[in-house]
Amino acid sequence: MAHVLQFRHALALVALAALLIFWTQAGYFGMEILAEIAVFAILAMSLDLAAGYAGLVSLGHAALFGFGAYMFALFTVLWGWPASLAVVLATLATGAIALIVGAVVTRVQGVFFIVITLAIGEMGYEFFFKNRALGGDDGLSGISRLDLSAIGVDLNDPGIFALFLIVVAAITYLLLVRLLASPYGAVLTGLHDNPGRMRALGLPVRTYQTSIFAFSGALAGFAGTLSAQHTQFITPNLLHWTTSGEVLVMVILGGLGTLVGPVIGAVVLTLLRHELSNVTDYWGFWLGFFLILIVLGGKNGIVGWLAAGWNALRGARPDDDQAADEPAEGEEASDAAR
Amino acid sequence: MLADSSFWIVQILNSLQLSMLLFLLSVGLTVIFGLMNFVNLAHGSLYALGALVGFTIARATQSMWAAYLLAPVIVTAIGAVLYMLLIDRLRSAGPMKQVLVTFGLIFVLLDVQKYVWGTDQLGVTSGVPFSGSIEILGQIYPAYRLFIIAVGVAVFALLYLLLEHTRLGAEVRAGVDDPETASCLGVNVERTFFVVFLIGCALAGLAGVVAMPEFSAEAGMGVAILVPTLVVVVVGGLGSLRGALAGSLLIGTTLTFGTVFVPQFAGIIMYALLVAVLLVRPAGLFPARG
Repeated sequence: MAHVLQFRHALALVALAALLIFWTQAGYFGMEILAEIAVFAILAMSLDLAAGYAGLVSLGHAALFGFGAYMFALFTVLWGWPASLAVVLATLATGAIALIVGAVVTRVQGVFFIVITLAIGEMGYEFFFKNRALGGDDGLSGISRLDLSAIGVDLNDPGIFALFLIVVAAITYLLLVRLLASPYGAVLTGLHDNPGRMRALGLPVRTYQTSIFAFSGALAGFAGTLSAQHTQFITPNLLHWTTSGEVLVMVILGGLGTLVGPVIGAVVLTLLRHELSNVTDYWGFWLGFFLILIVLGGKNGIVGWLAAGWNALRGARPDDDQAADEPAEGEEASDAAR
Repeated sequence: MLADSSFWIVQILNSLQLSMLLFLLSVGLTVIFGLMNFVNLAHGSLYALGALVGFTIARATQSMWAAYLLAPVIVTAIGAVLYMLLIDRLRSAGPMKQVLVTFGLIFVLLDVQKYVWGTDQLGVTSGVPFSGSIEILGQIYPAYRLFIIAVGVAVFALLYLLLEHTRLGAEVRAGVDDPETASCLGVNVERTFFVVFLIGCALAGLAGVVAMPEFSAEAGMGVAILVPTLVVVVVGGLGSLRGALAGSLLIGTTLTFGTVFVPQFAGIIMYALLVAVLLVRPAGLFPARG
């Protein structure tokens, strides 16, 4: 187990180094892409907490992301609060909403859970789409960024802002690694592998599931506040199921339940989207195509493929890491039986 | 407006007509869901495919009847190919992976439809049966919408007979009730699943082509109908014909009257209803099992 984690941290370090090298080379457009990658990396990590670790595969995660963005815009643009306060309060508000939603949706499991989260996500989308006070389908503009001029940092510079977001993403990664190493993190992994056994051990399974859903939601809301500051203009599309789908593809493409996988997925998918949108109008086709390919591929995303390759190079017995890398396949089947 | 009986007649008929479309879509989904705990999220895309293919056939042959007959067949064939290429391969990997594959299919099919048919609304005007209006209780109402209601009722009757009075129906009921025991008793649950899947595809295609003359066809329509359909499945309860019908009527009525009285929040009321049902009866109103 220890060297599995070392391998993943090494991958995270490589990803960070690659982003920083790209940062030194990037022009204006490159900075925009880097900022987008960092925001989606945080969002994808937050989904991985719920989906990969606690087994709560949500198709409405973008609704929480968009909710955070809208709360930030509401607090700063319409109510004129300072951005720093708005970041904290928007994150907390999203966490509170996720707590309520989580308390409802964790009543059901497996495929049912997917359907319910999709429906509730669409409800959020429709709410903001039709809410004229928040701009409706036109969206809201004129969002300003955090003011860090007190410590000599000007976030309105695209390069500085991209670097700021990369640093925030890296800190988020470290904090989540810490969280997952705690007893609480061990419970999460247990919930994913076998909820029935966790219940038999006397753990309040639903309470844990609800709490991680709320925490993951709060983090998604936090990513939303960053996204609002990045584009300075938000539309209800942030909450749309296609955004949820894109984030889920990032997580699965990178590797479910690996934490570094979603980061890699965010990097690969964001770059792909920008490259492919130059040559085709049909980005959705390729997004769906990649998702199907990865799911059919059987391994646990890019991290799974890399780990398998690394093991082959080392000549290690394949079953060594496999058990830790790939969440038990039987678990979904046991969901089905219930 | 409320005291006006014509208002109520029109809105009740509108509710029935939407309910019947939802029923055609949800009944296949719910039985598959009940049989294999697998939900085909691309089901709405097959509905859109039915409408778009029906549009092309109707334009080529100048006959809606040809479209009614052929579009469901073509959609079923496409469903069969998708099943054999993608879904069948993942039988052993568990339902979660199957759902993710069908989620990917939504994106793929949506863009394929945009590529082939463009993004405009497509409609046929010539050769549509029942295109006039009809007078009911002194109220003028489009006859075609009554036709949609009639199709829904006819399909319900057929499915009822199929489920209750044929061998396939007995196998489906046994499979929904307890797949393992059913397969121990010699029911080929995999084959039953495949047949039900195909029937579901055909009904989705039929719903699409029947809806097309009234609501026109466009690439995004499958995605728009997917969520209400899923809500029907969950509210109605898994695997039961009765649940699909009850859920369709409930959601169809809620959406229609919600749109009339509180246009901004029609969708939200539907979701609130969903959450309320889940809190009171987590398995839905009429689950086949339990």
